[in-house]
Amino acid sequence: MSHTRQVVFYAPKHGNAEAEWEDGAAAAPADGAGRGPRFAVADGATQGFGSARWAQQLVAGFVGDQGAAPDLTAAALRRWASDMQARWHDDPRLAGATDLQRLKQATVGSFATFLGCELHDLAGRRPRWTAVALGDAVLFHVRGHRVVAQFPPIAPDGFGSNPDGLPTGSAALDDMVDRAVFANGDLADGDLLYLATDAFAQWVAAADLRDGPALWTALARLDHPEAFRELVRGRRAAREMVNDDVTLVRVRFTRAPATHLVVCL
Amino acid sequence: MEKYRQSVSRSEPGCVVILLDRSDSMKLAWGRTGASLAEGAALAVNNILLDMCIKATTEVNAPVRHYFDVGIFSYGARVTEPGEGVESAFGGALAGRGLVPLPELAEHPVAVREEPSIDVMPVSARMPVWVDPVHGYRTPMCQAIAVAGAHVFDWAAAHPDSFPPIVVNITDGMVTDSPYDGATLRDWVRRLTSIETDDGATLFFNVFLSPFEVDEIVFPSDPNGLPSPGPDLFELSSPLPPPMVDNARVDGYDVRPGARGLAFNVGRSTLLRVLQIGTRVPDRAR
Repeated sequence: MSHTRQVVFYAPKHGNAEAEWEDGAAAAPADGAGRGPRFAVADGATQGFGSARWAQQLVAGFVGDQGAAPDLTAAALRRWASDMQARWHDDPRLAGATDLQRLKQATVGSFATFLGCELHDLAGRRPRWTAVALGDAVLFHVRGHRVVAQFPPIAPDGFGSNPDGLPTGSAALDDMVDRAVFANGDLADGDLLYLATDAFAQWVAAADLRDGPALWTALARLDHPEAFRELVRGRRAAREMVNDDVTLVRVRFTRAPATHLVVCL
Repeated sequence: MEKYRQSVSRSEPGCVVILLDRSDSMKLAWGRTGASLAEGAALAVNNILLDMCIKATTEVNAPVRHYFDVGIFSYGARVTEPGEGVESAFGGALAGRGLVPLPELAEHPVAVREEPSIDVMPVSARMPVWVDPVHGYRTPMCQAIAVAGAHVFDWAAAHPDSFPPIVVNITDGMVTDSPYDGATLRDWVRRLTSIETDDGATLFFNVFLSPFEVDEIVFPSDPNGLPSPGPDLFELSSPLPPPMVDNARVDGYDVRPGARGLAFNVGRSTLLRVLQIGTRVPDRAR
């Protein structure tokens, strides 16, 4: 039997309040009906309206916490994203919106990069991951402190210029879903998957080129939210990391059962 | 270190000041729009203020974010008392105020009313109004720069890490008060643009309106060939910094090296586009 153990780390932009983190992250176990464990991250547009709600709705929807989770095909993603848009527009919290807020919702809306991943056949002979991405949130598949796969394969200087993502407006949805990219990879005992939004992913991509083993050793050992935030603070101060919301989901794939429970206080 | 790279945030807000010509010539009709230069300029200023408020609106039940401090100073006819001079162009609860934080600005338009489209389309929309069209008297541009400069100086001292102040002068005429207080227009501009934050010197952009339908010249890189007072305004205008060059190119302008923050003989829709380009400071793509 195989197991996955996952942890989510996040931090808002420096200078912003905790509640102003506009990324989203979610995880869900296998559903018992054939769907494997799922993980997702999203990065809401800073200039959008209701971006945190949009990013967090997308990740929750992908793992099955809001309606039916989509299959990893373009057609299924299109139907699912359309449903997500309708839910976002019908949010009852909008009843209290001001004229300016209604104007921005109607004219600008929001947008989020998205990365979703599902694990398959964990109890079988060929455990593997499949993933879908729109934009520059990135999955790093790491084995023995080396990157086996990076998806999407974006170079450190390629972040910030990718316009792909999921919009709240219906007009652009079809074009965007057509730009979704898919990938998969085989898993081995002890492998780690990291899902990161752009600012952290960009730093990781650059740090991997400088000293991959040191990077992956450090990330595998992250054991407390404050340790993650200390890492982010330090890299921002060194101007190695852009001051943006950051999110990291770490998924450990192992055949060994858990031997202890860690609670962060 | 590279300048003009600071992004705006609540911890490092930006500063935008618009100097609005309210001289007598602003009563002239603006091309075939059926509106005066004063009406068109006020419409564009209200549009850009609304743009800024919208950008700083992020979520239901959340206040407009304090991304900017904004000042609109008029020169020419005064509203608060008869005669010529320089004053805050804000009315209502903001009357007499210099630089106003964006959340407060959003809260206090003087009216919300039906306004025509800026593109001379047969449509209109209800929108907030902060500045009304006014015209009369001469063009005391030096005094306007002096008044704005005092506010900009205090603001820069209080925000040393911010993107430097942006001052946009919207005019249709020639300065009539140079020298003012012993200094020429060029001297006043030099004083203004010597005010710095750690991210660079204050930017001074000029938009020259023409009542006639003549060729527009936007962000020129060479003063030669500009009709009067184009060469003078070119010399007074700051070079476009990289973020504004990027903004302009995204908007389709062919911006050459050495381009200045000057738009000459512009129509109404171009005025708004130039204001948008000149007041959009760096931010993250998402």
